[in-house]
Amino acid sequence: MLRYALLGLVCVTSSVYAQMPHDVIYMPKKTACLAVSYNNSSWKEYWENTLKRENLNIGTLSTESVMPMLAVGLTDKLNVIVGLPYVQTKASAGNLMGQKGIQDLSGWLKYELVKNDKGLSLHGVLGASTPVGNYVPDFLPMSIGLQAKTVTGRLIGNYTHKSGLYITAHASYMYRSNIKVDRDAYQADNRVYNTNEVRIPNATDVALRLGYIKDGSRIQAEAFVDKFSCVGGDNIRRNDMPFPTNNMTATSVGFYGKYQPKNVGLNVRIAKVIDGLNVGQSFSYSVGLLYQINYFKKSEKK
Amino acid sequence: MKNILKYIIITIPLGIGGLLSCDKTITEPVKEAYVPVSLDEKAGTWKTYVLGSANEVPVAAPKASNDAAYLKEIDSLKNKILPAVTAENKKAVVYWGAGSVYRWNEIARELAARYNLAPAANAEGKYPVPDAANPLADPKFPFANPPYTARALAYLSVAQYDALVSAWNYKYKYNRKAPSKNDASISALLPVSDLPSYPSEDAVVAAASYTILVAMFPGEVPYLDSKLAEAKNARVWAGANVPSDITAGDALGKAVGAKIMAKAKVDGMSAANNQALTAGMVENAKKIGVKNPWVSQETPARPPMLPNYGAVTTWNFDRPTLEKIRPIIPYLENSAEFQKDIDELKVIEKNQTREQARIANYWADGAGSYTPPGHWHRTAANAAHEAKYSEVRMARTLALVGTALMDAGIACWETKYYYYTPRPQQFGVKTSVGLPNFPSYTSGHSTFSSAAATVLSSIFPDQASKFDEQAKEASNSRVYGLIHYRVDCEMGLVHGKKIGDYAIARGKADGSGY
Repeated sequence: MLRYALLGLVCVTSSVYAQMPHDVIYMPKKTACLAVSYNNSSWKEYWENTLKRENLNIGTLSTESVMPMLAVGLTDKLNVIVGLPYVQTKASAGNLMGQKGIQDLSGWLKYELVKNDKGLSLHGVLGASTPVGNYVPDFLPMSIGLQAKTVTGRLIGNYTHKSGLYITAHASYMYRSNIKVDRDAYQADNRVYNTNEVRIPNATDVALRLGYIKDGSRIQAEAFVDKFSCVGGDNIRRNDMPFPTNNMTATSVGFYGKYQPKNVGLNVRIAKVIDGLNVGQSFSYSVGLLYQINYFKKSEKK
Repeated sequence: MKNILKYIIITIPLGIGGLLSCDKTITEPVKEAYVPVSLDEKAGTWKTYVLGSANEVPVAAPKASNDAAYLKEIDSLKNKILPAVTAENKKAVVYWGAGSVYRWNEIARELAARYNLAPAANAEGKYPVPDAANPLADPKFPFANPPYTARALAYLSVAQYDALVSAWNYKYKYNRKAPSKNDASISALLPVSDLPSYPSEDAVVAAASYTILVAMFPGEVPYLDSKLAEAKNARVWAGANVPSDITAGDALGKAVGAKIMAKAKVDGMSAANNQALTAGMVENAKKIGVKNPWVSQETPARPPMLPNYGAVTTWNFDRPTLEKIRPIIPYLENSAEFQKDIDELKVIEKNQTREQARIANYWADGAGSYTPPGHWHRTAANAAHEAKYSEVRMARTLALVGTALMDAGIACWETKYYYYTPRPQQFGVKTSVGLPNFPSYTSGHSTFSSAAATVLSSIFPDQASKFDEQAKEASNSRVYGLIHYRVDCEMGLVHGKKIGDYAIARGKADGSGY
């Protein structure tokens, strides 16, 4: 959820999981994986509406986050994933104060709907997030999040060849709640709203991944393209700062790799926004430390 | 552990269910029509700002109530216009029913917000100056910053007030009753008082407001044309006026509006952005002892906002008074007091509380907002609406507050460029609200807020402590937002109070008896 909440001009950050809400890997029943990831995302240029520009009074805006997350195999076909990031932002130029704090708690349920013996499978994902920190959502691009509660529904289709090569596609729809801001009047949609309630547009997300997976996901490498789009929203006005109501769109390409020979593993992700609207053209990378726990199994054996 | 997971599994779908039922419609406060607590029958004698007298613009006598032409109008209203009123028309009636002065003030604030964006630097690193002759080019004209907005709203409110005083004069001179009082079979869609209907106060306000706003926001003529037409039609659709009430009001409003704009054209605003003066201002500041005068913190450096706005003509006091009440020199760099103010900011910067951030954000009224003057106009308009003021008394309230706000802007700007002091950002402090591009001392927010709160407290004494608290909070917000020293804010409050007192003195002597 982090990556979407932050999509503003903030960044397109990634969550790093041993298994993720957008892949088809499951923790086996009664196992869990704890991952702690560090993410760094930065941009120098951004799209002010359709105008690609830089801002000498921001310089490079960077967002760093640390996110512990836990994936648990409830059954072999049903996993739950929860995560809670700490985020901080900084501008390299100008005088806007960086923001930091605990962001939004997110939880996902991933379920294998269909799987045949030819390597085809279909999965359903249900996610939700809620802000935990009382951060300021409308001091964009410095804000660490948007304060919206979200609910996401996602379908993932996958084909994995015997050789380990795979292709995955997903499509999601995200409902995002309205938010409250500190001011009681603001401008959006080319008018003034006399209230502290701000409408956050809903969003969609589609992605395609091509990769290779081996040894029950001990080794994984993939390239991906991902498009996040708001459903409606307004545009950043000429020389204005972004606002939570903006129609933010970003297409990113990237690479993801994982190596987890035993209980302990590592994953890395890099991504770059190649096209967008009302967002920063961010480059991001993340590194995650993975640790698989067989806690439940052990405790049951006793 | 298992229990926690169970909890999560149960709560995710529950949370989803709860959220999906949520409606994303934004609800805003609704303003309704009312019968004013007083009709202010004598308002035709109140002292005007620009008009020499309430008779300066002549309005011909209306046709008598038994005249064939008038009876024809009544007949047409009853049998043609009202039966044809659509649901869409009724929406317009309800909207304008909240009050003509109220709505035009709101429209002006919205325009100010839409035009409150600083020009972007061009490829050469220069900031093009908005061009009134080409208002929709980039950058758009105007850049409706706080001084610009203070002035636009002041002229708007003065035009509404002078036009309404004049209208009240003719209303009680000619005493034409409202259509539904002349013909009981006409049922109006809005509450109808005993206020004479000729000339229509709504048309007067609409035409006067339109005349000011097309001059202040020349890129918005089509939008304002549609608002003007709707405002006038709504009164007829409501059954509250006949077309001849509207026509006479429209002509009076336009004529008064033109007289107000003629004054505006020569008030010195055209020279407010005279950047050639800044070198001398900086020199003066150095002479007084300001070691590091203000410099733009933007890249590329942006010329300061309206450095000669301080020379614009004030409303409620003269130039010698302006100079006499100018705040004394602030603490200078290297003094213990200055260090104390900087230290306060550094502590906040390191550990700004969420409440401090909230206050800073609530009062920021920065780019894309209707600015602090707009904020206080909104407060004044809402207070007058709540008090069920007549149109003319509401206009008086806004004119008193609006002229005080413009005077506050002028006097504060004169102070700012007289001392030309550096912002805290010149000493490495960051901001959580964005940094205005002009010298620090005194705080504009403090001066504006104190002036407006002083006037409002005099008009609504039962709410004085509330307004006073709001002004103090607005003032503090600039320290919490880290863009002003404490002394900027405290001295701004004192200055604003004096400025507000001059508006009150004017109000006490305007013949209204309030």
